[in-house]
Amino acid sequence: MILEVNHKPSVLLVDDEEMVLTSIRAFLALETEYNVHSFSSPAEAVGFLENSAVDVAVSDYLMPNMNGIQFLARTKQLQPETSRVLLTGHADKQSAVSAINEVGLFQYLEKPWDNAQLLLVIQSAIERARLLRDLRSKISELDTAHSSLKDIQRRLLRAFL
Amino acid sequence: MTDLELEANKLAALGSLIAGIIHEINTPVASILSNNEVVLRSLDLLEKAIAESQTERAQSIVAICRSLASVDKIACERIAGVVRSLKTFARCGEGDIQMVDIHSSIRNAVALTECACKRRIAIEMDFGDLPEMECYPQAISQVMLNLLVNATQAIEGEGKIVIRTRLDDDSIVISVADNGRGIREEDMSKVLVRGFTTKPEGVGTGLGLSIIKKIVTELHGGSIDFESQWGVGTTFHVRIPVRRSQVGKGA
Repeated sequence: MILEVNHKPSVLLVDDEEMVLTSIRAFLALETEYNVHSFSSPAEAVGFLENSAVDVAVSDYLMPNMNGIQFLARTKQLQPETSRVLLTGHADKQSAVSAINEVGLFQYLEKPWDNAQLLLVIQSAIERARLLRDLRSKISELDTAHSSLKDIQRRLLRAFL
Repeated sequence: MTDLELEANKLAALGSLIAGIIHEINTPVASILSNNEVVLRSLDLLEKAIAESQTERAQSIVAICRSLASVDKIACERIAGVVRSLKTFARCGEGDIQMVDIHSSIRNAVALTECACKRRIAIEMDFGDLPEMECYPQAISQVMLNLLVNATQAIEGEGKIVIRTRLDDDSIVISVADNGRGIREEDMSKVLVRGFTTKPEGVGTGLGLSIIKKIVTELHGGSIDFESQWGVGTTFHVRIPVRRSQVGKGA
């Protein structure tokens, strides 16, 4: 599951309230060129993540069957580089703290949200995810280069000794 | 029973729901606020698209605005619904005796309770065919709210509450059944006694059921009883005469 760097940024929205999904989708459609995928069921969103890479996952907290922290923990397992954002109307500090500690949250936002701030958070979340993916692919390039250098060194030593 | 007692009990019941009520209103408000901003921005972009004769772009912006307008309608209806249910509880004291459709009082109490437990507890309503009832509507709504709040607090995790109504001779019988933890054998005789509670401090005052017992018996000439099994659930039955004249004077 590798996203090309030139590929359009991909945003996943999860909220059991359709009205919230529609509002954010409309805002992003107007202001950005992102591919936005929205789900009112966290289980369906997990199914999507099993097959498609996204740059950022924005999730509600209070949802039936699976809460936002459980969903983002699953996201982290499936796609470690994806940035995780919690957007919640359930403003209790306990859920904020556990979200930050358990799932390594990128940002915690409260409803009602500010569109300008939401956009800024999503933009930097995308940048972070892309830098991480970039870093990972550079590291693996380095690993490959390193092992082929080792191989050359071994052959050189064998030729001269 | 004083107005002050009634008011304090009502506030305690509502207070336990307040976080849920806030959440219920906050979500549509968040949506409307965002939509308003997006629509204003859309108008700017629409003006530009028209000036540049970009018909397709203009059409897509119009489509966005349409979808937001329909979301706003749903969002406003949600807020109006919560406010309507809250209004039932807005006045202080007993109010006046009125002819009331008891089912609408029950629905209001259910709507408020659902704000706090929608994702956890399913509330089912199984209503019989009932005539309008002569009662103090505020007080009866308070009885329903108390019984429902108690039922939700008896259920740990997921569960179900079933409300049934039926006409029995000249009385209306309302039953509220939960599949929560139930009442222990040794507590049964104390449940309707003033000041008795098994809830932690800050959750229960031990006054709720004793006050609703007074509302039912003294104000309405009715009766209240319950059946319960530890670990299985509890059902409360409230019986109220359809006409107050049938029972003579109340409180």
